[in-house]
Amino acid sequence: MQRRDFLSWLLKSAYGALGLGCLAALPYLYRDGRGDIKTFFVKTIDVDDLPRIGVKQVEFPFRGLTHKAFVVRRDKDLFVLSPVCSHMGCYVNWNFVENEFLCPCHGGRYDMTGRVTGGPPPKPLTRLPHFIKNGFFYIGIRA
Amino acid sequence: MIRAITNLLDSWFGIKEPHRNFLARALPEKINVSYCLGGMAFTAFLISLITGLLLSIYYVPSGRDAYSSMVALHDKVWFGWGIRSIHKWSANLLIIFVLLHAVRVFVHRAYRPPRELNWMAGAIGFVLIMASGFTGYLLPWDQKAYWATVVGTSMARTVPGAGPLIETLLRGGPEVAGATLVRFYSLHVLWIPFGLMLVFWAHFHMVKRQGISGGL
Amino acid sequence: MSQNGKKKALYPYYLRYVLLAALLAIEAIIATALLYPPRVGPAIDLTAPYQPRPEWYFLWIYQLLRYFPGKWAIMGTVLLPSIFVLSFVLIPFIDRGRTGRKKAITAGIILFIALAALTLIPVLTGQ
Repeated sequence: MQRRDFLSWLLKSAYGALGLGCLAALPYLYRDGRGDIKTFFVKTIDVDDLPRIGVKQVEFPFRGLTHKAFVVRRDKDLFVLSPVCSHMGCYVNWNFVENEFLCPCHGGRYDMTGRVTGGPPPKPLTRLPHFIKNGFFYIGIRA
Repeated sequence: MIRAITNLLDSWFGIKEPHRNFLARALPEKINVSYCLGGMAFTAFLISLITGLLLSIYYVPSGRDAYSSMVALHDKVWFGWGIRSIHKWSANLLIIFVLLHAVRVFVHRAYRPPRELNWMAGAIGFVLIMASGFTGYLLPWDQKAYWATVVGTSMARTVPGAGPLIETLLRGGPEVAGATLVRFYSLHVLWIPFGLMLVFWAHFHMVKRQGISGGL
Repeated sequence: MSQNGKKKALYPYYLRYVLLAALLAIEAIIATALLYPPRVGPAIDLTAPYQPRPEWYFLWIYQLLRYFPGKWAIMGTVLLPSIFVLSFVLIPFIDRGRTGRKKAITAGIILFIALAALTLIPVLTGQ
């Protein structure tokens, strides 16, 4: 191999390696906050204010914003539904007249158990963990 | 006086000579008013650029302060609402002008060789302008901005496999939050305008080199 | 071309039209901006019911999301928009060969009708 060819080859490989090195820096752009996610239990309402039947929207402050969740009592079951629509992440609202959750964005519909009854959502509403302590209802949100 | 100054400047920069042919070139006879649409689009771009620079004087790109800085822009800054309004409308009209310009070029079939790369440069510029509209929509950090971005970034999640990764990459975290705002701000004021200026330079350079298409 | 090149040259003959068009663009922008100033929207509120709307130039994609439920969502979010954008960017390569212009015009018309319809449906139905 000629000396000049070798130098040219060396230069090209060095720049190639530099280019690959830049690609390796791509994770710089990706900052995953998932590792920090935990379930926080937030104190919400008095147990006496839990719905006796049907759906109730519960609001509670968390990290400077007021969040919401739906507490549902159905027969003997008591569960909490996340308001996040599984389609595009908008917050659904409970429609008292139609007895369903309705998403304002693309018209996704869920029944009171969170099952999809219409529209584009791929999954039911998420159920949130909860417990009662000292007469207060705590809801677990992942943040 | 003005001539003396321009001559002096030209003696340093030598900018006249390379453009003489371009300026003196005879244009095709069938040319009409619709050929100005590209220039009108560029005018709208320049206005959005200038008003954007002015808005950046008061805007605070943080989840905590963005909304209040926008309220202050409206309430406390003289003509703050006007600058924001001009920025918004120049963006809207920019998109209309670009679309009409594209229709004009399409109708005249001016994308044919040797100008296919120039059509693509313009089309990519249009995509960048849309991206600028999307990222800029979040910056007021109000209800409309927040939920539109929730929907816009959630779309990425539908990609099989890499979806959640792309969504997190766009949002700078698992949720639309302050990190998303800073990310979109950076794209809106630095990355996209820089990319657009490169694309526009290529676009105009090709117009200069290839001349204006003679139409049908 | 060169006999009456003086009258047809970009400078100074056409430049005044370009500057006039630019002035029209500036005035159109300032007039609409003064007539229809944007309001300060309500602050972020996770509890109030809210129906977000994108800007008019993204309405077509917003509307498209409605039509593909469940696992078909990717059609509306990625595939169809990519096809639209790619066919727009690659128009010069669609217009190839003897029937090229026909193909390009067909693509252009389909693109136009699809985007116009998807934009107009939410505007007219107020969804």
